[in-house]
Amino acid sequence: MRKRLLMSAVLAASLALTGCGTADQGSPAPGGSGGLTPVKLQLQWFVQAQFAGFLAAVDQGFYREQGLDVQILEGGVDIVPQTVLAQGQADYAIAWVPKALASREQGAGITQVAQVFQRSGTYQVSFASSNIKAPADLRGKKVGNWGFGNEFELFAAMTKAGLDPGRDVTLVQQQFDMQALLAGDIDAAQAMSYNEYAQLLEARNPRTGQLYQPSDFTVLDWNTVGTAMLQDAVWASTDRLTDPAYQDTTVKFLAGTVRGWAFCRDNAEKCRDIVVAKGSKLGASHQLWQMNEVNKLIWPSASRAGLIDEAAWNATVDLAMTTRNQDGQTVLTTRPEGTAYTNEFIQKALDSLAGAGTDVVGAGFTPATVTLTEGGA
Amino acid sequence: MTAPVDRALAADPAGPSRGRRRTADGLWVVVPPLLVAVAGLAAWEAVVTLGRVAPFVLPAPSAIGEQFTRNLDTIIKTGLASGTNALVGLVLGTIVALLAAMAAAQSRFLADASVPVAAALNALPIIALAPILNNMFSATSNIPRRLVVAIVVFFPVFINTLRGLREVDPVHRELMDSYAASGVAFTRLVRLPGALPFVFTGLRQASSLAVIAAVVSEYFGGLQDGLGSRITSAAANTAYPRAWAFVLGACVLGLVFYLIALLLERLATPWRSR
Repeated sequence: MRKRLLMSAVLAASLALTGCGTADQGSPAPGGSGGLTPVKLQLQWFVQAQFAGFLAAVDQGFYREQGLDVQILEGGVDIVPQTVLAQGQADYAIAWVPKALASREQGAGITQVAQVFQRSGTYQVSFASSNIKAPADLRGKKVGNWGFGNEFELFAAMTKAGLDPGRDVTLVQQQFDMQALLAGDIDAAQAMSYNEYAQLLEARNPRTGQLYQPSDFTVLDWNTVGTAMLQDAVWASTDRLTDPAYQDTTVKFLAGTVRGWAFCRDNAEKCRDIVVAKGSKLGASHQLWQMNEVNKLIWPSASRAGLIDEAAWNATVDLAMTTRNQDGQTVLTTRPEGTAYTNEFIQKALDSLAGAGTDVVGAGFTPATVTLTEGGA
Repeated sequence: MTAPVDRALAADPAGPSRGRRRTADGLWVVVPPLLVAVAGLAAWEAVVTLGRVAPFVLPAPSAIGEQFTRNLDTIIKTGLASGTNALVGLVLGTIVALLAAMAAAQSRFLADASVPVAAALNALPIIALAPILNNMFSATSNIPRRLVVAIVVFFPVFINTLRGLREVDPVHRELMDSYAASGVAFTRLVRLPGALPFVFTGLRQASSLAVIAAVVSEYFGGLQDGLGSRITSAAANTAYPRAWAFVLGACVLGLVFYLIALLLERLATPWRSR
């Protein structure tokens, strides 16, 4: 009797857990709303110009033209977009490639279907007076990083420069702001070119009474150091990609997305307004800066926007497998198996746009000069 | 005469008591929890394997155990860092709480007025305290974390000590009065020894809280040298088996603190357990 109770308890528990993210996920049937296919997109952070292309595609009706009703789910500090996707609570998710591949290794059934940013936007910023001109100069310094899997480019650069991240520097957990650097608590801080770096330039320098200038800082850019990893990418559910309806939705979603980004390349200020209207945390001048910086990460895109570059992807995986953090752990322990990424759907989406006359290369793109105001208002 | 009641025990049934430590019974103290733990782990493992639950949802105990042994060096190293913060904060918070309780016990008014203040302090969430303290002191020092621990442990020690100081057996009071003992002698001979069991009850409650506070306060920035930073970074990397391994490390650390507090209690109040 007792044994039977235990067995049924185990079975009941496993059935209950089956409901939330098993290794074999069924696909929810798409229900129509006014003839449109509902699609949920999980962002990896708060609404800001980093996601302007998606917001613009909703605002300008590009998704609607494709027959999609896209709902955008805002991210946050402790939202892991790729597991939201893997558990079936979203249809697509935006996530950095190494982090999403780590989730994949842990059983999340996800496949990359597009690469939004062709370049990395992560900097390691320090005051010019600290003389940190190369990764090797970080030796003996207090080095801030966000943790949460956002730190591996920095670790790769330190390793490349012959530093042991666990021994040769003091690692400090940084908040998602620049206060620790400005207060002098740390010598070098992690910053996204399109977000935290701007926050530095929006702060008042107490010595001059003016805003800080780019010349006050030195920036280590992982693209030039050679330890850049691929960041914002679009992920889809691996299992559902066998379903023709979901395949079709994926192509349409990506077509609308590329149109959104092309629109933001040509209408940065309009996209800033869309983002601000959506309730971004920081104000208009900050979002315009961010829009401009994000455009730099996408355009010009010689091989066409959204395509996953095999060489860059492999370089990211190699770094993810070889870069050790202070405890000797790597992001990935094995090479991704199965269909970790596919260009099939973005290819179809780009082909469908070619006929419609959308410029998906942006050869003529020139970044604007954005003037920041105090506090990013 | 009525049967003597161990008042401290009545207030805290989990405390050590008479006659609970005969070796024959010792086995019965250890075996049932072990059985429950083993059965629980087996059921967990079965649920994960039979239910084909993906590791990113709920890792199997075997996977956690594997990560625990693989990362044992790091767990010990980071556990020592978090443990040091917890210990310093615990000692600091306890000393302040003892002094405050002694001061408050001087008069009924002070005692009645201080309890709500202490309760309000106790209600301050770590999530609010840690960032504020990080901004007040350098984020790269251990001071903010230790202060968080001190603030968290203050309440249980203060409240229990205060109760102990204010509860004096009338028989003892009459006896001392009959000796015409001075106030100082009364405090030294009756009040403080009488309050000791209460102090240690508070300390025992505070010991596990100290570890929790030390680990959680690491989530809000500062040096990446403790268990808390490892738990968040492993979880963010979807390395949940590793995250759980570090959580297990934090559990062990909390248990060590608890057992040491229990041992101190036994040593300081030998009359409560023969």
